[in-house]
Amino acid sequence: MKCTHIALAILAASAGCAALWAQRTGDFGFGNDDSPTNVKAEFYWSRLAYSTNIASNFGGYGHRWRSSWSRDYPKADRQFLIAMHRLTRIDGRPTEQVVTLDSDEIFNYPWIYAVQVESWTFSEKEAKRLREYLLKGGFLMVDDFHGTEDWENFMNGMRLVLPDAEVEDLQSGDEIFHTLYDIDDKMQIPGEQYVWTGRTYEKDGYQPKWRAIRDSKGRIIVAICHNMHLGDAWEWADDPNYPETFASMAFRVGLDYILYGMTH
Amino acid sequence: MFQFLFKYPSAVFRKGQFVLLGKLPGWLLVVAMVAAAIGLALLIRWKLRNAAPEVRNWRAWVIWGIQSALVALVLFLLWQPAILVAELSSQQNIIAVVVDDSRSMSIADSEGKTREAAAVAALEGGVLTGLRQRFQTRLYRLGLELTPADGPREIMPVAPATRIGDNLKRLATETSDLPVGAIVLLSDGGQNGAGGGWGISRDVLQALRNRRLPVHTVGFGKEESAHDVEIEDVSIAASAIAEGRISATVSLTQRGYAGKKAKLAVRDGAKQIAGREITLAADGRMQAEPVFFPAGAAGAKSLTFSMETLSGEENLANNTMTRPILVSDAKRRILYVEGEPRWEYKFIRRAEAEDPTVQLVSMLRTSENKIYRQGISDSSELASGFPARPENLFGYAGIIIGSVDADYFTPLQQELLREYVDRRGGGILFLGGRFSLSDGGWGASSLNDLLPTILPQGRGNFHRNAATVELTTQGLNSPITQLLDDPAKNAQRWKKLTYLADYEDAGAPKPGATVLADLHAGRQKLPLLITESYGHGRTAILATGGTWRWQMSEALGDPSHDLFWRQLLRWLVAESPGPVVASMPERLLMDEGRVSLQAQVRDKQFQPATNAHVTAHIVGPQETDAFIDLTPSGSTPGLYETAWTAEKAGTYLAEVTAESAGGRPQELGRDVVTFQREDGVAENFHTEQNRRLLEQLASDTGGRYWTPSELKNLPGDVSYSEAGISVRNTKELWNMPVLFLLLLGLPITEWLLRRKWGVI
Repeated sequence: MKCTHIALAILAASAGCAALWAQRTGDFGFGNDDSPTNVKAEFYWSRLAYSTNIASNFGGYGHRWRSSWSRDYPKADRQFLIAMHRLTRIDGRPTEQVVTLDSDEIFNYPWIYAVQVESWTFSEKEAKRLREYLLKGGFLMVDDFHGTEDWENFMNGMRLVLPDAEVEDLQSGDEIFHTLYDIDDKMQIPGEQYVWTGRTYEKDGYQPKWRAIRDSKGRIIVAICHNMHLGDAWEWADDPNYPETFASMAFRVGLDYILYGMTH
Repeated sequence: MFQFLFKYPSAVFRKGQFVLLGKLPGWLLVVAMVAAAIGLALLIRWKLRNAAPEVRNWRAWVIWGIQSALVALVLFLLWQPAILVAELSSQQNIIAVVVDDSRSMSIADSEGKTREAAAVAALEGGVLTGLRQRFQTRLYRLGLELTPADGPREIMPVAPATRIGDNLKRLATETSDLPVGAIVLLSDGGQNGAGGGWGISRDVLQALRNRRLPVHTVGFGKEESAHDVEIEDVSIAASAIAEGRISATVSLTQRGYAGKKAKLAVRDGAKQIAGREITLAADGRMQAEPVFFPAGAAGAKSLTFSMETLSGEENLANNTMTRPILVSDAKRRILYVEGEPRWEYKFIRRAEAEDPTVQLVSMLRTSENKIYRQGISDSSELASGFPARPENLFGYAGIIIGSVDADYFTPLQQELLREYVDRRGGGILFLGGRFSLSDGGWGASSLNDLLPTILPQGRGNFHRNAATVELTTQGLNSPITQLLDDPAKNAQRWKKLTYLADYEDAGAPKPGATVLADLHAGRQKLPLLITESYGHGRTAILATGGTWRWQMSEALGDPSHDLFWRQLLRWLVAESPGPVVASMPERLLMDEGRVSLQAQVRDKQFQPATNAHVTAHIVGPQETDAFIDLTPSGSTPGLYETAWTAEKAGTYLAEVTAESAGGRPQELGRDVVTFQREDGVAENFHTEQNRRLLEQLASDTGGRYWTPSELKNLPGDVSYSEAGISVRNTKELWNMPVLFLLLLGLPITEWLLRRKWGVI
């Protein structure tokens, strides 16, 4: 009898906690707290936390020794958001949002950013959700993967999402480089390793690849920055040793990509 | 009986003028009557003291009444009453006998005979003979035209339409130099005049009255069908946008099927494009049923609206009605001004990208000093920002104002926006947002009166919280909010739509505004979609910037978001006139080809173009191809008009083009209208006898409505008319049998009463 009472008390307490949690987070995912991470805004810098085929130590997402999706997180995101606030009229939240393919919550964030996508993989359900996300109007920017092997690994994941997708090289005249800034002369944007190696490339990714996947109407739905590391450029933009030219270019590209995603 | 008692037919009393032939004035008769009544009252009162007790009560006053009436009657006769009445001179006048020979007269509902046969039988059964004893007669048959006939047997019910009004007017005009004394019209009253009019027009009545021509109408046919469903009318716009949705209202009546279900179908050619089951209303009650259907591809179409045939229906031909409509794929440009990058902008653009008839030209403030333009026709368009000149702004058929502060527009631009709606007739849609409506200072701007709501005070009315949507009663019947054809399913679909990402309190709707949808945010219920007519144009508020969730969070392929936006923006621009607006009073010509075509022409500033060269190119059935010029109307600046005759039945297209006059003519604009000539269809409708029309026609002209069984008195009654050659006769009334009966009856009544009361 006593055990039953204890069990009931635990159950009631659990239900109360669940109700309190639901009240805090039940506002359709946008949050209802005044803390900076819960400020409501039009635009949320959304970083995709994807699963990998390597054993994880972060809720199922990431490498054993580190989370590949969270590279440069959150400093790169927040520095980019500072620039976005200063240079555009986008009403963006000052802090980033991590999104996953576990639930339909991702559909509230029509622009997502993913890094080190050579390590991503998707379950059938995740791939379907990302496919639907992109075909409904979502936009994905991928960054920070280098060389031939990374490309193949990235495409292995991408083929699970969009099996018939064709990747094309973007030209300077493409609209995505002209939404806010006219970016006609682009360069390879290196990661932080440039500071001590002087190399703009990693692995065998000698040439920057500005690539994209389009939908049936010709609109870019996946913007691919291959052989580059824009995230590092944002993250290390305040490092005196990291060249301002790369950082500026990275900010301009990022802003153009966001505005493209918000207009096409 | 009437004539036995009153000596003369009732027509004498209806048409004649009462006079007193005695030398003493009429007022003296009244005085004498009153004096006699008073004298009798005094006399009875004086004698009452000595009278029997049985009459010392109300009975005395009954005796006084009878005696006073008797004295008054005698006095009345002494003053020599008479009737002055105009009477046609014998054998000097013509009676026009007009027999309806339209197809509806072939319906066999007059005691087993056709209406035509019954009319012919009535004429041959004594009416013509009776008339010919006193007058000359002329026989006509009346259908589409009025034609003389040699004899009743010549008349066959074959005419494709009945133009009672027009033909009576023509008869009155063409016989103006003949002594026509009256018109006798034998018809079922199935008037289906030019332009679909079902009554007798005022100018026809005026023409008959000018000649004082009485029309005696004789009605044939049943006044009510036992079992019939009839489409009375179909109300539909003259034009629609390709691939859009069209709404029409089908008006119908029925008899004998109250409460039963029947299917209403809409067909484009042989293809059914809409259909739904309706419940039939009470017998004889007009029922209006809205129906929505896709416009389909561009072109001139003849849509068929039909009711399912029910078992036992007496008339199947009145279950179908056709209407011409022009489905246009002309691109209409909408200017979308957005003050900040936001998802709503992206997803509206994506929805409109699928619409071949609307082009979204947008200007988006990406940063404080940068504008990102999309959908522009050339690099100069909107290069300087929002237009500041009417010729640059008025070319757009609609405007969307997103999250933009009112102060972003200069006073000149604000005035231009007001003119855009009021004078140019454009549509403006205001969206909710951080800088929209009250949060954008619009309530304090000069454009406040453009808005369909009274905005709330202050700012802070925009909330990034979830809100669900529910249609209002008006929204259920609006083509803007039709996501599904079935009204009940459509209402449910809206209730189940995923929530909006944000909402704004738009305030209370102004009088005259229509709320199509409400939003529910927590316990609050606020108007979401509000529309209003303003001047020549229209405005609307959609108090959210968060419909994009309908696209992202509904299932892949769900059309709700895109369909709603396409319908909303088509509504915004559908009624916006172009520089040339062609129109015609009647687009459906029933058995006639006369058509008048008008065009309102405006210049680039949308001021009336008074000096334009306007032409119409008309193409129609059997290779009809004509070019005609339109001339200034003289009454309205910028209005040009012409008349033309469509000789053949079928669908016609008229393209009106206006060019500026001068050395180097420039095209101002063009417009297309469609019209249709239908022959032989009108007689399928309103086949019951229209007794009301026949009675009204007779009453308005001084004639009388007759049933076939009363016709033996017709030849006599026709005589009393002021038309033709008539003389005014004096009919003395003193010798009317009814008066002698009264003279005898009153004393006898008194004597009988006294006997009854036991005072004799």
